[in-house]
Amino acid sequence: MAKTIMIVDDSASLRQVVSIALIGAGYDVIEGCDGKDALSKLKGQKISLIVSDVNMPNMDGITMVQEIKKLPAYKFTPIIMLTTESADDKKAAGQAAGAKAWMVKPFKPEQLLMAVSKLVQP
Amino acid sequence: MNMEQAFQTFLAESSELLQDMEDKLLGFDSCDDCAESVNSIFRAVHTIKGSAGLFGLDEIVAFTHVVESVLDDVRSGSFVLDEQLINLLLQCKDYIGKMVDSIDGEAVLMAPEDLTVQAVLEQALGVYLNTEHSTAATALVGIDDADTYQSVSVIESDSAMANENWHISVYFGTDVLRNGMDPLSFIRYLATLGSIVHIETVTDALPGIEDMDAESCYLGYEINFHSSASKSQIEEVFEFVREDCQLKILPPYAKVSEFIDVIDTIQNDELRLGEILVRCGTLTQRELDNLLEMQHAVKEGGTHRLIGEIVVEDGLASSEVVTAALHKQAQGKKAKEKQAQTVRVDAEKLDHLINLIGELVIAGAGVESEAHLTGIGNLMESAQTMTRLVEEVRESALNLRMVQIGETFNRFFRVVRDVSKELGKDIDLHIDGADTELDKTVIEKISDPLMHLVRNSIDHGIESPALRAQRNKPATGNVKLNAYHESGTIVIEVSDDGGGLNREKILQKAIANGLVSAEAELSVQDINKLIFEAGFSTAEAISNISGRGVGMDVVRRNIEALRGTVEIDSEYTVGTTIRIRLPLTLAIIDGFMMKVGDAFYVVPLDIVEECIELNTNHNVGHDGRSYINLRGEVLPFIRLGDYFSKTGGSAKRENIVVIKYGSLKAGFVVDELMGEFQTVIKPLGPLFERVPGISGSTILGSGEVALILDASSLIHLVMQRDGKAISAAAKQSALH
Repeated sequence: MAKTIMIVDDSASLRQVVSIALIGAGYDVIEGCDGKDALSKLKGQKISLIVSDVNMPNMDGITMVQEIKKLPAYKFTPIIMLTTESADDKKAAGQAAGAKAWMVKPFKPEQLLMAVSKLVQP
Repeated sequence: MNMEQAFQTFLAESSELLQDMEDKLLGFDSCDDCAESVNSIFRAVHTIKGSAGLFGLDEIVAFTHVVESVLDDVRSGSFVLDEQLINLLLQCKDYIGKMVDSIDGEAVLMAPEDLTVQAVLEQALGVYLNTEHSTAATALVGIDDADTYQSVSVIESDSAMANENWHISVYFGTDVLRNGMDPLSFIRYLATLGSIVHIETVTDALPGIEDMDAESCYLGYEINFHSSASKSQIEEVFEFVREDCQLKILPPYAKVSEFIDVIDTIQNDELRLGEILVRCGTLTQRELDNLLEMQHAVKEGGTHRLIGEIVVEDGLASSEVVTAALHKQAQGKKAKEKQAQTVRVDAEKLDHLINLIGELVIAGAGVESEAHLTGIGNLMESAQTMTRLVEEVRESALNLRMVQIGETFNRFFRVVRDVSKELGKDIDLHIDGADTELDKTVIEKISDPLMHLVRNSIDHGIESPALRAQRNKPATGNVKLNAYHESGTIVIEVSDDGGGLNREKILQKAIANGLVSAEAELSVQDINKLIFEAGFSTAEAISNISGRGVGMDVVRRNIEALRGTVEIDSEYTVGTTIRIRLPLTLAIIDGFMMKVGDAFYVVPLDIVEECIELNTNHNVGHDGRSYINLRGEVLPFIRLGDYFSKTGGSAKRENIVVIKYGSLKAGFVVDELMGEFQTVIKPLGPLFERVPGISGSTILGSGEVALILDASSLIHLVMQRDGKAISAAAKQSALH
């Protein structure tokens, strides 16, 4: 069974492009449009990796990671945060919340794919 | 789903984000939660940048990066978002919009003059930036700086080892599993770059069974790796655990000192590690002996500082930064924005649905009338139920097309701001009825005429500050946009408290232009309407805002094309209100059907006030005295039979349908009242498009055609006849 990756970002076009790339590489994808949405879609799913934006409406990425780390089922799910290169404080906050991997926006689909395949093979 | 669709999403998303950015910028002076506003503005630019990067639109990425950096500094409180910066950001917003519009494949094709604009904007933005932001970093930054831990060699007699393979020494941090990383997956990924000649698992860090934490990782690996990959490529494999692990990568033919470094860094029994290296095939026993010897020599020489310099930084930021960042996030969360849950649907699909429902309505009417003919009760009942459901479906389908006018109105904040600034006037825009809904097509087509009217109000309506002072008006002028529903139509008002129309001047000009004859007597409304004539402008000075003499007549034509009307209330030196009246929808209406002779006519049900019988008591004739006394009110009427030259209407009793349109009332005399009817508006053929009094046609269940009356033009016809002398009315009836 293909591994499932959740992509969380408030930009629909970003989610679409990332989904196309990931599905093309053989992963299953679940999309979330913000932290809150992602948390509600997480329930009951077996997810191998979460790729999430930081700055989102409703619930930002950092809070979402903190919430996810509280859920026993997803405590160990790896999380890649998407950040801006200037946001060192965000990086630190993401680390503090429990997301150790981060990637800089903007990126090309193949760059994300490469990063993802380091953590989870389809 | 394909890339093209994703790209379309990107375009739609960008324009939405930019609009939101503009709204936030314009509303910044009066925002309740400025931090969240700035955050929103930042997010808009940030999202566009991120998405543009995905599509390889580097030009957009580079420019948005600069804007984003400035916004980031605003967000962190480095400087405030003042008037000047808001103006600059608005220009940047426009420019980003322009870039998005100029996307051609993978490139953004900007005209040379636009690039000059970009340079100017970037320079202006640069003032706000400190140097660290000045270059656009497009590279993936997963590792701080790949080249910083190239070992610094201090040993002169450094000889290369005879080994053509890479040696990788990786010791995972204890938290690596807790962070959701699987050490094995990195090793597996490493294997895609080359071949692992030998791997040795170092389990020295494993504690006793009683101390062991199942969630911790205690493993390290020494890997002899054959690959043509570069050092940075190998390093990137461990990108996500870089901060958690001790990693050493030694290139083929590495120097002795580098091995010493490895052995020293891993705080282990050096002998044991040396053995591992030998077992890996990285070192030969002889090399190891030499190495250890040299290491002792180095230590005694006191140069072993080397190790400390190379120890991997654990990358933890100071706790202050973390707390500040978390605090900021919490604030952002509190000020939640209302996000409407929406589904984006292709407009074409929607049009198709509306079309189908139109056909369904017609077919349903056919079924119902057939059912009535059979006289079977059950069948009639079922048909009726179906008709009711069709009506509901129609309602909700049409609702899908309804959009609030607020978004269109909000766009004018920018216009008023820019134009008034240009003209040196101080003008406030007030908006009412932003939640009034109307058909999307209508909204799209009305925004240009509205733009003309608003610009006109600012330019010609509102006086210069000096003149306002002279007239004892407050220095700040007011322009107001208002929308509301009134008897089946939507009314949009553009009003200002400016100079108003100078009717004398208008009349003089109209006479001079030959639009009216000198002796004509015109009503106030008639004079006002002259400004909608082609080639009419009373402004003395032609500015680039308005006053080129095109515009107002185009406005009127556009509005009339939407089956709407426009009227003006104006008082000299006090102000002007321009009122646009539009039909709610262009597709399907609730109609009221009437019959004259053998022809059917439909008017929108909402404008029908009442129906009364026209009896002899009303004392009417064909002599042009077409008025009745309706409960003490004078009600002019028109015989539809006469107007459309329908003969044979020898109905026993004539009926008069009282129509109210705006402030006007008139009666239509018909033979028979057919009642309510769901009317699917079909356009008239080009031959009949210009026939006055008819706005469209519809198909009845029986397949017959009924004409939809253009109530506004008919009423005006009646009123004109009234306004003029009886002779005109006599001529009118003589025509028929």
